[in-house]
Amino acid sequence: MAAMETQLAARAPMISIDQVAKRFAGPSGETIDALAPVSLTVARGEFLSIVGPSGCGKSTLLRLIAGLDAPSSGRIALAEEFRESARRRIGFVFQDPVLLPWLSTLANIRFPLDTAGTDRAEADARAHHLLDLVGLAGFADALPHQLSGGMRQRASIARALSYDPPILLMDEPFGALDLLTRDRLNDELLRIWEETRKTVVFVTHSVEEAAYLSDRVAVMSPRPGIVKAIHTVDLARPRGEATKLDPRFHALMAQFRKDLR
Amino acid sequence: MTARTLPPLVDHALGLGAVLVAWQVYVVAAQVPAYLLPAPAAVGDAIANLAASGALWLHLAHTLGNIAAGLALGTALGLAAGAALARSVRLERWLEGPILILQTAPKIALAPLFVIWFGLGAASKVALIVSLTAFPVLVATLVGLRGLDPALRDLARILDLSPAQKLWRIDLPAALPDIFVGFRIAAVQAVVGAVLGEWMSGKFGLGYLMTFASATYRTPLLFAAVALTVMLGLALHLALAAAERRLIRWSGAS
Repeated sequence: MAAMETQLAARAPMISIDQVAKRFAGPSGETIDALAPVSLTVARGEFLSIVGPSGCGKSTLLRLIAGLDAPSSGRIALAEEFRESARRRIGFVFQDPVLLPWLSTLANIRFPLDTAGTDRAEADARAHHLLDLVGLAGFADALPHQLSGGMRQRASIARALSYDPPILLMDEPFGALDLLTRDRLNDELLRIWEETRKTVVFVTHSVEEAAYLSDRVAVMSPRPGIVKAIHTVDLARPRGEATKLDPRFHALMAQFRKDLR
Repeated sequence: MTARTLPPLVDHALGLGAVLVAWQVYVVAAQVPAYLLPAPAAVGDAIANLAASGALWLHLAHTLGNIAAGLALGTALGLAAGAALARSVRLERWLEGPILILQTAPKIALAPLFVIWFGLGAASKVALIVSLTAFPVLVATLVGLRGLDPALRDLARILDLSPAQKLWRIDLPAALPDIFVGFRIAAVQAVVGAVLGEWMSGKFGLGYLMTFASATYRTPLLFAAVALTVMLGLALHLALAAAERRLIRWSGAS
């Protein structure tokens, strides 16, 4: 475990979160501390999960990293070479797929490329490749309402990958899916991650999902949102059914649950 | 018991046919004078005469042209104003009062004013149609854009879209089902506005035909003009319904 720690620390950080806090104005004018000052670094190519109960600020933190909201204090910095290019460093997979219902699956995946003025033939080729990658080959022309929930979320992941961002942020992407679909998509996500080596920050309320997917897991607790503990997941990759039988996997889950209590 | 196999269109035609037959029978049996209530056959004759003389196309084209121009300008204005108001809560608050007053003012009261401003020709009629159609489209656009899923805004932020890209590629298509509600009201209002405008002034159009027929007690011609207006409104409604089915077939099934 210690070896892995040093190995991760040796890699240059992709995301540095330094004393970042977020306060909201409540309904009667009082201040609500959604996020107490939090510091965290995410290494290049790392798969980091943030697990915590509702209201612990995990989604808030993800939105701050994405630049969807501004922190009340503190700063978030990306790796140096991505600071200058302001455009599209981040792929974001929302809790709901947020596909455009009037566009075909292919056009949805191609949407970020179309709006960036990418050549149509090139964009088509890339979108078809991503359809294959997420297992939606054959559904290129289907409209979103013709897809199942799991397929919609696959399309949403493909869209986030279409412009090849170095960072992929995922906000409880499989939270609304049934357990079987969720298990399958977890395996697919790991396969895609091994293939693309994105830096992934994955928000979930499932300790099992966090333990199964991640290099490290940050456990958060609410009111105000803080990072209570960070655990390194020292389980061999590639992970699969054997991982789920590993006593260390269960020990980790037990530890996360204890942290959450 | 047999299952209903007739398409709805046949049912509608049968219902309409029954009404026409009853009407015809009543007029003939009760010997109602034609200047009070002409028989459907007499109205049909009046339409046929209009068509034969070529006057039908002249009047129809005039009314249709005014409707097309007024509807195009009115919906464009409504869309633009709705999109502008949706962008700024402050602007909406400022203009809420003036727009409400303009909307509640009966347009019939404004019609003579439009004649003074825009003359006796087509311009005053188009202006009247614009004043009737812009508001329903504006309100529908505002409602549609304000009701969008906030996640769409996040998506636009993540993808770093320009405001124009966000409007044309996300917001307007997403709001289209709501906007079509405004289009449907506008289409009905456009026919009302066209007829009203032609009552006020001019020598062409179905509205003019109505005032001419009633002033000269040609009741079959009056009925003919009304029937043609109804058909025009129906055609407009069907065209709009077809466009709606084509453009937002994605929304109904979800």
